[in-house]
Amino acid sequence: MPSRAGFHNPAKSLPERGLLLLMVLLFLEVSVRPLGVACSQDTNHHHQDQHSGNATFVKKAFPVLSLDYNHIKAPFEVSLWVLLASLMKLGFHLVPRLSGIVPESCLLITVGLLVGGLIKLAGEEVPPVLDSRLFFLCLLPPIILDAGYFLPIRPFMENLGTILMFAVVGTLWNAFFIGGLLYAVCQIQPANPSILHQLELLPCLLFGSIVSAVDPVAVLAVFEEIHINELLHILVFGESLLNDAVTVVLYHLFEEYSGVGTVTVMDGFLGIISFLVVACGGVLVGALYGILAAFTSRFTSHTRVIEPLFVFVYSYMAYLSAEMFHLSGIMALIACGAVMRPYVEANISHKSHTTIKYFLKMWSSVSETLIFIFLGVATVDGKHAWNWTFVTVTVVLCLVARVMGVVGLTFVINKFRIVKLTTKDQFIVAYGGLRGAIAFSLGFLLDERHFPMRGMFLTAIITVIFFTVFVQGMTIKPLVELLAVKKKQEAKRSINEEIHTQFLDHLLTGIEDICGHYGHHHWKDKLNRFNKKYVKKCLIAGERSKEPQLIAFYHKMEMKQAIELVESGGGIKLPSALPSTVSMQNIQPKKPPPPKPVERALPQLPKGREEEIRKILRSNLQRTRQRLRSYNRHTLVADPYEDGLGDLLIKKQKMIELEKKIKDMNNYLTVPAAASDSPTMRRARLASGSDTDFKPAQQQKGNTICPDPQAYNMKPQSDSVPTIQVDLASPQSPDSVNLMDEFRKAKQQEDDEQGLMMKPPSGPNKPGEAGEPREQKLIRCLSDPGPSADEEEDEPFLP
Amino acid sequence: MGSNSSSMNNIPNAEQLVQETGFSAAHILRLYERFQFLDKDDTGQLRPEDFGAVRELAMNPIGDRIISAFFSPGQETLDFASFVRVLAHFRPADSNRTRDGAQPEPANSSMRKLKFAFQLYDQDRDGKISRAELLQVLRAMLGMQVTEEQLQSIAERAIQEADFDQDDAISFDEFRKSLEKVNIDHKMSIRFLS
Repeated sequence: MPSRAGFHNPAKSLPERGLLLLMVLLFLEVSVRPLGVACSQDTNHHHQDQHSGNATFVKKAFPVLSLDYNHIKAPFEVSLWVLLASLMKLGFHLVPRLSGIVPESCLLITVGLLVGGLIKLAGEEVPPVLDSRLFFLCLLPPIILDAGYFLPIRPFMENLGTILMFAVVGTLWNAFFIGGLLYAVCQIQPANPSILHQLELLPCLLFGSIVSAVDPVAVLAVFEEIHINELLHILVFGESLLNDAVTVVLYHLFEEYSGVGTVTVMDGFLGIISFLVVACGGVLVGALYGILAAFTSRFTSHTRVIEPLFVFVYSYMAYLSAEMFHLSGIMALIACGAVMRPYVEANISHKSHTTIKYFLKMWSSVSETLIFIFLGVATVDGKHAWNWTFVTVTVVLCLVARVMGVVGLTFVINKFRIVKLTTKDQFIVAYGGLRGAIAFSLGFLLDERHFPMRGMFLTAIITVIFFTVFVQGMTIKPLVELLAVKKKQEAKRSINEEIHTQFLDHLLTGIEDICGHYGHHHWKDKLNRFNKKYVKKCLIAGERSKEPQLIAFYHKMEMKQAIELVESGGGIKLPSALPSTVSMQNIQPKKPPPPKPVERALPQLPKGREEEIRKILRSNLQRTRQRLRSYNRHTLVADPYEDGLGDLLIKKQKMIELEKKIKDMNNYLTVPAAASDSPTMRRARLASGSDTDFKPAQQQKGNTICPDPQAYNMKPQSDSVPTIQVDLASPQSPDSVNLMDEFRKAKQQEDDEQGLMMKPPSGPNKPGEAGEPREQKLIRCLSDPGPSADEEEDEPFLP
Repeated sequence: MGSNSSSMNNIPNAEQLVQETGFSAAHILRLYERFQFLDKDDTGQLRPEDFGAVRELAMNPIGDRIISAFFSPGQETLDFASFVRVLAHFRPADSNRTRDGAQPEPANSSMRKLKFAFQLYDQDRDGKISRAELLQVLRAMLGMQVTEEQLQSIAERAIQEADFDQDDAISFDEFRKSLEKVNIDHKMSIRFLS
């Protein structure tokens, strides 16, 4: 996210922020206080009217302006909270140093504490915001769906064994260790009976199971900011997702039987079966809905607008269906997102891609913010029963259990792994086991009658959450730096890497077959074949089902580059009817000597032409399979400029080739056209039939060209005039016009004669400051960010 | 599986192979059983046709290249020692082996693994992957699904990206550089051979 500190003077912004905050809090006050009064007044009114019946109405002055808060109370309060959350988010990024030191989650909890404190000070009752139903049904699903949809499948699958071990065995170990030792601690000091002695074993175990689960929300919030390498990220994150099944089973098991007081072996056995049912059932439900969503998306070519809706609704229903059967909703959601993604991506339009991406990020961002704020508010509220022994022992035990669990499990796991986990890795995994709002909500769900110690439990849970989020969350970043843990690599996959990786996959599969070993590669290969042969045909519309992964990847790269060419240079010279004096003389030979930047003088492009180019590029964008990246929520738009000399050279080559191809009146862009169309293109052609945008440009040249939008190739009408048939896939956005204008204006200042000087970025690095504001405008002008520089996850379901 | 009289005594030069390749005795035994399974006419040597018994290899786009990689150029037959030596490339790397300069580079080091893969591309063994060779591989992998023009474009772009010394071919160093982000030890290892 471009830092806006450069635009605002920080000193000036603080009073603004304070004022804003004050206003918001005042609103809260106003909203809460007249609630009681307004409520009674309205009901009185209604009763009066009803009782009067047929009698004449009491005549009173016509109310010109009246306040009826109750009418809008619920949505208003919700909106107010959301607004508060979003304003907080804005505020944190205005103070740049703060967000560097303190992770956002801590700041948000603090804000929640403040708000809760203010409300309490005002004498009002704090609204029970972290109601479990609200949490589990509204706040949690967007975050999980976001995580599941953008889950990097390949590292997840490669480390699945490790992840499952940590999730299942680790959580079980944590739960029993904490629960058991807590019970033991509570039972000591028999001479001094305290309330702790009333604590039975089973409630202790229940407490242990609640507090032992690593929380995905907290992990996401903290890990997103520290950018560690992919392996560690997926280990901790995957664990936090998959331990939901264990938590659900343990929770229900202990809750059921706490009343009875004993758990037999039979119950334990049933618990294990229940775990399998919960986990596999959740995944199955999710996969089923995912396939339904993929199948539905096959037919959406005529109603593109509601495509994102299908994705969201099917996923949410998967979650709700799983929750209905008390299966693991989180696993259902993850399975749904992961299963549907490759097929849906192949079917839907580019704009729908962008919509889904943005909506998911937006919802999950707001959700996460709200959760942390509510945690703070709920801390202020609520009956707390502070018990020094209990709380401190809990915190200590959590830490100890986590460390022991991780170390022990790693020792076992390393025997089976090719890439072993080092001590540093183990430390990060142990340290990253943060607890969060799920633990709190589960505790909140406990029935007071069955668990008289509920207050104490909640206090302890909150303390653990605070400790992990604040202490561990704040210190993990400097620790990562200190230990020099490998950071996330800027993954810019080259075509070579893609080709060679596929080649190596085939090679390994072949070697495995020769050895007769049915290993990892063998099954992956089989799954791929099955996918290609049967599944893709059902779930992907039209011709896209046959497109191999490498081709789609290649197209995407070409598109990226073409867009960048346009953006960096402002346009490409097109031969016009008149012989041009300048251009062709400057064309360099096919292999330019490295690494001189090329300066070419191009005649000015008429405005219509540039728009055509933009449109062509946009329409071609829709042809290619857009792969979504798992974006960091803070940086949704990446810099379109790529550093690297190699790319520079390639860009030059492409430019030259483009010119040559235009000259030969072949396909317009270097992307060779496939023999048949995707349904997207077909629809685009039909839609652009009567479009008049490209007519003015043609009329400029005064040619009589039969406006045949069907043709993708240029038809030689007169001797050397190429006609460009534009296939519009997206309606002309006014922004692109501004874009070109801006470019031209900026460039004209530097130019002398005809030039649209095609000044490529000088040197391997990004051009200097002059380029920056333009880029910013660029970024905002584009109605959707095109495919940008780096690429984290670009593989379909089966890599 | 073990009903044959497979014991270490039957395997020629067993200890030497253990020493050379780093496989354990159990692995050598297992590989020997596999070798015997493939060697249908029991000559103690494998020929390219024997690999046809492995059905999945026929479906593999680069199956024939892999088979020919086992045989040194000019050789028609393959004995057990060579079989094992080739497979030694795919053993997971030993993290705790300290390398002293006197020892030759082990077969399962990253460099040797990459070299093996490189030779699969570079059929004429001139040390470079030429455009034609790259096209052959692409054609094999992508098959009938793409047009010739698309293949040419991809090959063109691949060479442009990787070729730093502008000789229109990819040398081994350039190959290695383009794979620097990939964990070769992980990618080119088969677990059971550890």
